Amino acid sequence: MTTEPRSANGDLRSDDLREPSAADSANEFPVFQDERTRPITELPGYEVTERGPVIFGPEDGPLEGKAERRVDGPLYVGADEVMPELEPAPAEAGEARKAFDLNLDRRSLLKFFGAGAAAATATGCLRRPVEKIIPYVNQPVDQLPGVPTYYATTCGECSAGCGVVVRTREGRPTKIEGNPEHPISQGGVCSMGQATLQGLYHPERRKQPLAKVGNRQVDASWDDVKEALGSKLAGKKVAIFTGGSTGSRHQFYRDWLKAIGSTEERLYTFEPNALYSTIAAAHKLAYGVEAMPRPDIRQAKLVVGIGSDFLDVGTSPVFMAKSFTAMRTFKNGSMGKIVQFESMLTQTGGRADYRHVIRPGTELLSTMLLVKSLAAQTGAKGSASARAAITKVLEANATALNAGYETVGVPQNVFDSVAAELLAGPSIVMCGGTQSFDQNATQLQLAAIMANELCGAYGSTLFLDKGWMPAPVKVGDLKRFMTDVSAEGGLDAVIFIDTNPAFTVPKSFGLAAAVAKVPVVVSMQSFPNETDLLAGFVLNTHHYLESWGDEQPVVGFWSARQPAIRPTTDSRQAEDVLLWLAAHMKKPMPFSEYRDYLKDRWKAVHAAVDQSVEYNLFFDAVLRRGFVSKLKTQAAPSFADVSASFSLGAAVTGSGTMVLTSPLDHRLHDGRGANKPVLQEVGDAMTRIAWDTWIGINPKKVRDLGFKRNDVLLVESSAGSFRAALYPMPGLHADAVVVHRGNGHDDVTGKISGSNGVDPLVAFARAEDPLTGMPVTAGEVVKLSSTGAVFQLAAYQKHNDIDNRKDIVQKVTVAQAASEEGKTWNMDDVPDLYPALYKDVENRWGMSVDLTKCTGCGACMVACAQENNVSMVGREQILLGREMHWIRLDRYFAGDVDNPQVTVQPMMCQQCSHAPCEAVCPVYATQHDPEGINSMTYNRCIGTRYCANACPYKVRRFNWWTHKWNVIGDRLVDRNPRALNPDVTVRTRGVMEKCNFCFQRVREAKHRAKEMGTKVQDGAVKVACEQTCPTDAIVFGNLLDPASRVTALRKSVNSYMALNGIPGVHPYGIKTLPNVTYVKQISFAEPAGKKKTDAHHG
Amino acid sequence: MAGDAAGVVSVDGSREPVWERSISDVNEQILVNLRSPHPSFYVAFVIAVLCLLTGVGFVAAHTIYGLGLWNFAPPSMWAVDITNFVFWVGIGHAGTLISAILFLFRAKWRNSVNRSAEAMTIFAVICAAIFPLIHMGRMWLGAYWALPLPNTNNMWINFRSPLVWDVFAISTYFTVSLLFWYMGLVPDLASIRDRTKGFKRLVYGFMSFGWRGTAKQWHHYEAGYGFLAALATPLVLSVHSIVSWDFAMSIQPGWHTTIFPPYFVAGAILSGCAMVYTLLVPVRYMFRLEQFILKEHLEACIKLTLLTSTIVFYAYAIEFFVAWYSGAPYEWAIFEKRAIGPYAFYFWTMVFCNCIFPLAFWSKSIRNNIPVTFVICVLINVGMWFERYNIIISSLAEDFLPGSWGHYEPGLWEMVITVGSFGLFFTFFLIFCKFFPIVSLSEIKLIMPKPLRGGGKHHH
Repeated sequence: MTTEPRSANGDLRSDDLREPSAADSANEFPVFQDERTRPITELPGYEVTERGPVIFGPEDGPLEGKAERRVDGPLYVGADEVMPELEPAPAEAGEARKAFDLNLDRRSLLKFFGAGAAAATATGCLRRPVEKIIPYVNQPVDQLPGVPTYYATTCGECSAGCGVVVRTREGRPTKIEGNPEHPISQGGVCSMGQATLQGLYHPERRKQPLAKVGNRQVDASWDDVKEALGSKLAGKKVAIFTGGSTGSRHQFYRDWLKAIGSTEERLYTFEPNALYSTIAAAHKLAYGVEAMPRPDIRQAKLVVGIGSDFLDVGTSPVFMAKSFTAMRTFKNGSMGKIVQFESMLTQTGGRADYRHVIRPGTELLSTMLLVKSLAAQTGAKGSASARAAITKVLEANATALNAGYETVGVPQNVFDSVAAELLAGPSIVMCGGTQSFDQNATQLQLAAIMANELCGAYGSTLFLDKGWMPAPVKVGDLKRFMTDVSAEGGLDAVIFIDTNPAFTVPKSFGLAAAVAKVPVVVSMQSFPNETDLLAGFVLNTHHYLESWGDEQPVVGFWSARQPAIRPTTDSRQAEDVLLWLAAHMKKPMPFSEYRDYLKDRWKAVHAAVDQSVEYNLFFDAVLRRGFVSKLKTQAAPSFADVSASFSLGAAVTGSGTMVLTSPLDHRLHDGRGANKPVLQEVGDAMTRIAWDTWIGINPKKVRDLGFKRNDVLLVESSAGSFRAALYPMPGLHADAVVVHRGNGHDDVTGKISGSNGVDPLVAFARAEDPLTGMPVTAGEVVKLSSTGAVFQLAAYQKHNDIDNRKDIVQKVTVAQAASEEGKTWNMDDVPDLYPALYKDVENRWGMSVDLTKCTGCGACMVACAQENNVSMVGREQILLGREMHWIRLDRYFAGDVDNPQVTVQPMMCQQCSHAPCEAVCPVYATQHDPEGINSMTYNRCIGTRYCANACPYKVRRFNWWTHKWNVIGDRLVDRNPRALNPDVTVRTRGVMEKCNFCFQRVREAKHRAKEMGTKVQDGAVKVACEQTCPTDAIVFGNLLDPASRVTALRKSVNSYMALNGIPGVHPYGIKTLPNVTYVKQISFAEPAGKKKTDAHHG
Repeated sequence: MAGDAAGVVSVDGSREPVWERSISDVNEQILVNLRSPHPSFYVAFVIAVLCLLTGVGFVAAHTIYGLGLWNFAPPSMWAVDITNFVFWVGIGHAGTLISAILFLFRAKWRNSVNRSAEAMTIFAVICAAIFPLIHMGRMWLGAYWALPLPNTNNMWINFRSPLVWDVFAISTYFTVSLLFWYMGLVPDLASIRDRTKGFKRLVYGFMSFGWRGTAKQWHHYEAGYGFLAALATPLVLSVHSIVSWDFAMSIQPGWHTTIFPPYFVAGAILSGCAMVYTLLVPVRYMFRLEQFILKEHLEACIKLTLLTSTIVFYAYAIEFFVAWYSGAPYEWAIFEKRAIGPYAFYFWTMVFCNCIFPLAFWSKSIRNNIPVTFVICVLINVGMWFERYNIIISSLAEDFLPGSWGHYEPGLWEMVITVGSFGLFFTFFLIFCKFFPIVSLSEIKLIMPKPLRGGGKHHH
């Protein structure tokens, strides 16, 4: 499809409203040009103001024009059309109900268990349980077997509110993709979002509610719950404790609490990611707005991160990664620069041009030193009053700051030069991350506000006036809850909804003991977790893909959530359960189900956005597209004098004291991802360790302490201790002990997460940030000692250094790249004895991978595993190197071991034109197709494995075992085969497999193009890794199409083929001529020289 | 020494055996194995069968559960499986060399050892052929999909693949060796037939195809034997060349070199001769064949070992030189690591066993010192196994991309299957020793002094 030139102001309306042409309908998927070549103003949903592009424009109407007009082609579908009624299946009276009725004594309880066992046996013999999947006896009109249906919805894995599209086949979700039009996700999905289906289909989801009888939780039915629970809640002091959300959910809880006679203050919200509440609290102090500013770093010339992990976890990782990509796109001789100050090595630090290692716990001090440097510069921005207020703060802390450089470990000139650069252009200071949740977490955000005021970020890269972000939690709720629940007679009942404070709040807070005193505890969870153990009633609720809901990630921007599948188990949506409980208490709310509440509440959105459309049509249109926006504006608040509330906090511990930091894991987050094998197996971005918990310590320090890699260490603090294996991690400050959270779950959470790794939070004494009450999870002084034991950590990469090899990873400086910008070369012009194998072909598929942009997040690995039914193999097999990932991330360190340069190289089948694997296969199981894809014929493979030996990129994977769906290594688990993609063969033992450029997607696009009589357009095939990549590092397309993005990238002198030599130095290399090219890693810093890192073996 | 009266080295040091027995005495002495071997034979046989059973058990287990049982650690997709394959093919080389090439060169010393050397070849090739079969992911299909069999899907094999060449090379070699061996056996089997009764006579009669020893039969036999020898001769060079192409045809550094075919052939002959020696010494003892397999014969075998050891030594050196001289960084990195990297132990074991220890053979007294030479030959066999292991593992484990480097060490099951293959070999070999003439009767008779053959006294 040729994209019409758009008007200079980026007005999308005219384009959207024109009549659909034949060319449009040729592609049922939206076709996009290269995000990197296309002006930012043309990206979907972007509008231009005088200042530059802003994601959320002023005239945010219904984004697709009149709601009657359907989006061309079956883009995304509203759930109502396919599943008219989502009535829960009638449940039989459960065992617990009988238990209540019988008023059991011990003897009859035993009888009842016996009867239950007999009944279970009898039914087990009769037939398999009915699976509530759309029956095709009466085929739904919209559903064609073999043709996927797409639903737009909103991801519920964290509070960021990314828009996703769920691909369903025959009623089953089979893949999560980013919604390309959604301004938060912009088509990207993180690894947690990609792994959603393993949560939906998880075989260990509860099949029915549990109720506590005596000390035992027994199976119950929903009727039991209604009766037993309803009567217990009526007229009591009921509280709800839940996770973060920006949508209607929290308001619903408040309304419900009011309706049943409790008060709305008894809603407590908690997210272990303290960034939300600390940023909101700091902005409340500085600006009087308890919200988060919307960062827009796309135009930033410099981003300074201080302890920040905005690319790892942050507040909205996909949104930030997409913005990062725009900023880091090299054009017109330059790109945005990143300077990072941190004590551990994050993905953000790995992407930074310059990285400064600071002492752990000095993020606040470092920020204030930067503020000091900024204030000292002549060009400091910000209003006079703000500058005065900041000067006041600086003066009050002058002594501490002057001594600060030594404490931090970074000299003053660094801060001065960074400050000068910050003032030069659009810039931003991003402070704090999950590594810096200490007592000063809110003070740090306050310092960040000061820095951003001085460098003029507010209004240019940070927005509080338009499109600011609501905090998904209320500040101080955990503290309030602890006070209320501990008070005598404080709360009569607590309902935990999709949150796991029993695990995510450090044990030293005594939350479990406090909750144990509450007479009625209800745990409503879509997956078993530790909080269930505290509860008298455990209610199995819907997964988010089975639920209705919404999020409002930006004020005035609503993202809708709709079910993509009928409930797979006998679960209920938590809100529906609350509604019926209210009805049962004779205090009904005027809604029969949560969808009605939602529709009612959305009337306000309708009124705000577009009243010309009939409401139901509007609602359907929003579901179809997944979101709608009408941004609110407010006057930019002015900076208040914060000198009274600011303090530099507690003194930093002295040099040489080891302090423990426990950041959130980018895959497992606070532990919510731990039950998904694919997340366990994707491996940590920087260490590449899968499955376990490791202790990260600086390699030199490890040597000094006399430990070795894989030694099991005992980490002791005043609060507790844990044991885990040691990983010498380059780039850490010598005093830092970094142990990621996420693992160490109770066995009740399932066979994947149970007994896997340790929970470092046990070592944290009860301490909280005084301003927000958030638990401190950084800066605990610990003692390390060896236990003498050794535990092999399953790290994918055994060798972390590039070993001076020149044509694998290539790096250039910005200056070099600028001198060569626009130059082209023909890398396929290689002398060759053989004639081309195929002539007159339309397509030659190729891929380009940008090493400047890849952060190593692992979303591509998860997406690939989900799309291509890749088996998970477990820790033991990874130790042998037998992982099955079709795409892997090779992470190389270069330079100083204390502060290495990091390169992450995604490595998938290079689809060599001269494939070494093809010639050696005795049975033609692997061969070239005319379009350049090296394809595997699994049925033909006899497993000689010669191809894998011959492959110089080592991307071929062999099925050493039948990777059963119920075994991962030594863990017996039951993975649900319903999550398999029906388009891709499941491989058996003894055959080779590897990346095939998502051949099924290529074929699908070709079919569609053929039906329409056109060629496959650029962007019509999005392979799974490319689709999900939050940084757009991967581009796929047709190399024979001169206009395709991938052709342009292949021509650039900045691109190279791995292992194919360096022109002029070492020409042609091994001459495999891959169809995958890499874009050199561009950095402002000189590439580290020949010096090897000390830690090249870990 | 049972045979001290039969064959002695003459006092003047001439190597000419002095025959004092008749042709029937030769039969008696050689076929002693059919009656009463030394008790050590039975001990050896029981051990061999036990080893074989272990291997069979493992093959059954891995067929049921999958190749994951082995300790394969990618990127080393081949390991002890192919090591054993190349090792056994190498062992199989000396047999044909001794029987065919030396036959054509009329080297008389071969006549006393060729029978057992050929038998060794047959059994070694059987052992070798098992490994490519069981190392396949789907051996139940691979066993016949690797053959050019017509099928309804018109699927054909890939003639570009060295593995296909391997299938042809090994099967041809096995067939020709088997024919050659069996053809040589026919007159001897007839001799046995004539000396047995009842059921045995029936069996040996069947196996000897009605050999009567007529002049016409001898005429055809000689022609056919010579023809087969000529046919087998190029195979000696081709088989291990093709096996070496299994490696050399890929672009893997450490494998992709043109020196591989001659280097592999020399290595194969080295290991084959060492194995022949290793086998002959105990066999000579168990079956009291000292008067037929003379020290001179053993020494000739050792001389060949010394020659090939020197060639191998040269190949090792030139490999390093070429890797350095090529300027290919990945190639040189492999060789650097072989010498001082994680697999240096295997490399230096290989160098010492194959190149350094055999230097002792320059001394005639050591050549003729059977215990010392026997130990060195066993070490050469160890060294040759390590050579294959070294070539395969050190090239695969750390090749192009440092990010995918790995480390492999053999696990328990690899040991078991290796022991199992030795069990198979020795079981077969010991059965052969018990039921077949270990030394070729007819050829010994051929080189006997004329009077005993019925002619004038004549030193051949």
